[in-house]
Amino acid sequence: MSAWLVVAVVGVGTYLFRVSMVGLVGGHGSSARLERASRFVVPSAFAALAAGAITAAAAGPSGSVAPVGAVTVAALAVHRSGSARAAIVVGMPTLWILNALLPG
Amino acid sequence: MVATLPPERSRTRGRDFVGGARAMVPWMLGIGPYGLVIGVSAAHAHIPTAVGWFTGPAIFSGSAQVATIELLDAGAAPLIVIATALAINARLVIYSGAMATHWQDTPRWWRALAAYLLVDPTFAVGVDRYEGPGDRAAAHRHYLGGALALWVTWLVAIAVGATVGARLPAGLHLEFVIPLFLVGEVVTRLTSPAMLRAAFTAAAVAVVGYSAPLHLGPVAAIALGIAVGLLSKEAKR
Repeated sequence: MSAWLVVAVVGVGTYLFRVSMVGLVGGHGSSARLERASRFVVPSAFAALAAGAITAAAAGPSGSVAPVGAVTVAALAVHRSGSARAAIVVGMPTLWILNALLPG
Repeated sequence: MVATLPPERSRTRGRDFVGGARAMVPWMLGIGPYGLVIGVSAAHAHIPTAVGWFTGPAIFSGSAQVATIELLDAGAAPLIVIATALAINARLVIYSGAMATHWQDTPRWWRALAAYLLVDPTFAVGVDRYEGPGDRAAAHRHYLGGALALWVTWLVAIAVGATVGARLPAGLHLEFVIPLFLVGEVVTRLTSPAMLRAAFTAAAVAVVGYSAPLHLGPVAAIALGIAVGLLSKEAKR
């Protein structure tokens, strides 16, 4: 199987994942269970993806202190300000400062 | 005779579209360097560079693209490559289910296009707008504006990485914008004990399952997070 074909098959499979539920629900109305579950998709998915990315960064050559410290400060900033954007505005400078103070 | 929209209505539609693209900027800052890296890795892999770039429009999902390019480069069997990439992308079924409730009033062609563009950043920007105030049609335009901006940025970044071999400003760690963005979105949604339990469970399982085979950790984490949220008393009411 050529590399082109492998990529094409992965692409078709991925597209089927993307349309799977859209196709199932579209035109038939959504079930109450699906709507209830969808409320938890965002916090669960974002928490899982963030935790994975932070774990990857912590396992990097710079160590875990800077990424974990930056995320902790960012989460506190969001909690205090109520603004999601505070995470980036506060978190990135914190990461740079910690990386400068604690070179790997 | 050609039907035209009143100027004010047309401007409003344009604003919705541009608003989506603007909301995507934090993601584009984060994934731009990631796209460059994928382009560079595609250029260095033992596969035609064009195949590496083709993963962009065909798969349009960074982690699965990286896995596909790396496994093809390593000479893995096609079935292993396909199974691994699809396991990574299994989370898109969950995203599809979440978006289905928002897209049920759209024509089939629109859902086909919107679904093709469904990936972590477009899901994040889209859900954020759909859950906010305003009419549904404006939210659809917001989603497409953000999704198309991301799609163009992503393909251009991969192409630049593949052809120019651009070097990342590694010291800036711009890729860290993404987890910070996600943390911000999660923290603002922790408005009930059930949400808190769902998010905490998902994060804990993602960390524990970080090295799980076939990259199944994120899928298990999301599924368990949703399950724990649904099992809470307040969710059953």
